[in-house]
Amino acid sequence: MHTAKILIAYDGSDNARRAVSYTAAMVGSGGNRLVDVAAIERPADRDLFADDAAWKAECARRIEAMRTSLNEARAMLVAAGVPEAAVTTRFVESCRSPLREAQECSIGTSIALEILRLAEEGGYDTVVVGRRGVSKQEEFLFGSVSTKIIHAAKGLAVWVVA
Amino acid sequence: MAPSARTLLAQMAPDFPARHVGDLYTDTTEFMRISHGDVIVLADRHFLVLRDEAERRFGMEDPKFWVKRCRCLETGGRNILKLVFHESFPMTIGTMTVTCTRSPRKETRILDLVHGDDRFMQGETIYDTADNPVRILDIVPGKRLDEKIEALEMPHRDYFHDHFPEVLERFIEACQAIQWLHDRGEKHGDIRRDHLYVLRETGRYCWIDFDYTFDFQESPFGLDLFGLGNIIQFLVGMGQHTTQALTPSQRVIIDANDCSIMFPNRVVNLKKLFPYIPESLNNILLRFSLAAEVYYDTTAELIDDLSRARDALSQPTL
Repeated sequence: MHTAKILIAYDGSDNARRAVSYTAAMVGSGGNRLVDVAAIERPADRDLFADDAAWKAECARRIEAMRTSLNEARAMLVAAGVPEAAVTTRFVESCRSPLREAQECSIGTSIALEILRLAEEGGYDTVVVGRRGVSKQEEFLFGSVSTKIIHAAKGLAVWVVA
Repeated sequence: MAPSARTLLAQMAPDFPARHVGDLYTDTTEFMRISHGDVIVLADRHFLVLRDEAERRFGMEDPKFWVKRCRCLETGGRNILKLVFHESFPMTIGTMTVTCTRSPRKETRILDLVHGDDRFMQGETIYDTADNPVRILDIVPGKRLDEKIEALEMPHRDYFHDHFPEVLERFIEACQAIQWLHDRGEKHGDIRRDHLYVLRETGRYCWIDFDYTFDFQESPFGLDLFGLGNIIQFLVGMGQHTTQALTPSQRVIIDANDCSIMFPNRVVNLKKLFPYIPESLNNILLRFSLAAEVYYDTTAELIDDLSRARDALSQPTL
């Protein structure tokens, strides 16, 4: 039997939590589905800090917060009935992180493209992403992960949870 | 014992009035105290401070106490010294506010990167005795591009046909310079029309001021692209065109979708004001309008469209 593989793009925001919640409701305990919650590290920009110590402390704080948040996402899915064995989480470190330990890392130019790379490499059928509901001005200036995923995705389904 | 500023200036700048001689600084941390007549010592070089730099915006002089206009006592040449000033402040762009941070480290890195490349201002960094990276900038030998454009006294049509093709050619080169930075993971950070100079000798354009940075994760170069868009609007229009300045007949044909996505009073659909602007060029401007559905994601995309518009300009018109 074909096993559906779902990848949730996760950044710990309320929108990302909604994406997890929606996926949990859709998947529940039925079917033979694997759900992977993936977070790409967004290290603080080194140039924003006066010294390395402050920068590293902020990077460490963000990593800790994201790992905690990933565990919460996992708990949400399991609580909704998704078998524990079917839920995985992963944290992809940034190549720019001063605290990097893993060999594989995200080059960090685009979270959206990183998510799609993970989806392609892992053979996922579906990518789930939350949407902030940004204004045109915000999207113009800051970009939008969900918009970029929609535009760049090929050969898979994209669920956008707004 | 190190010589006093008075002794140094008596030897190296005897023309400098003795009554204005100040103090010697090897640590520039307290930059507010450093002023006219003081001497900043960096490694084996000495810089006589002439004045604080100021920026003229919206008709007001805005002093920049951390930027000193200096005379290098060894060479006699003029330099601008940028002292370390860490600040983060909200910057308003249209209806939005973004947090901007001044980063001496970033500017130092870019100055090293662009050394010898006349598309960018030149300079070097020397650390003072308190380890502050002081950026010693060469004065750009040229004039601000926007001032040159604004000084032209001719109808838009004449400007567009006689001058704009060369302006566009040079601007494409300037965009390529920004793309070169982006390809190396760097952003300019403060692309504004008064940060682009025309070099006196070659006519090439030269970018200045690289110390701003922003934390835009998904669109790290978005603000640079926005800045390039503002400049091309200015260059095509031979100035800025606001809704307030429209004539009654123009006002009838301009609506919100013809204006900038960020500045609702700034007309970007300039073909409606100047019908001889080719479609291919106007379409670039429209990518920065409220009506736009797709935005430039990379500088390379903008350069491709500008190059096509340049080619279209050189086609004979019927």
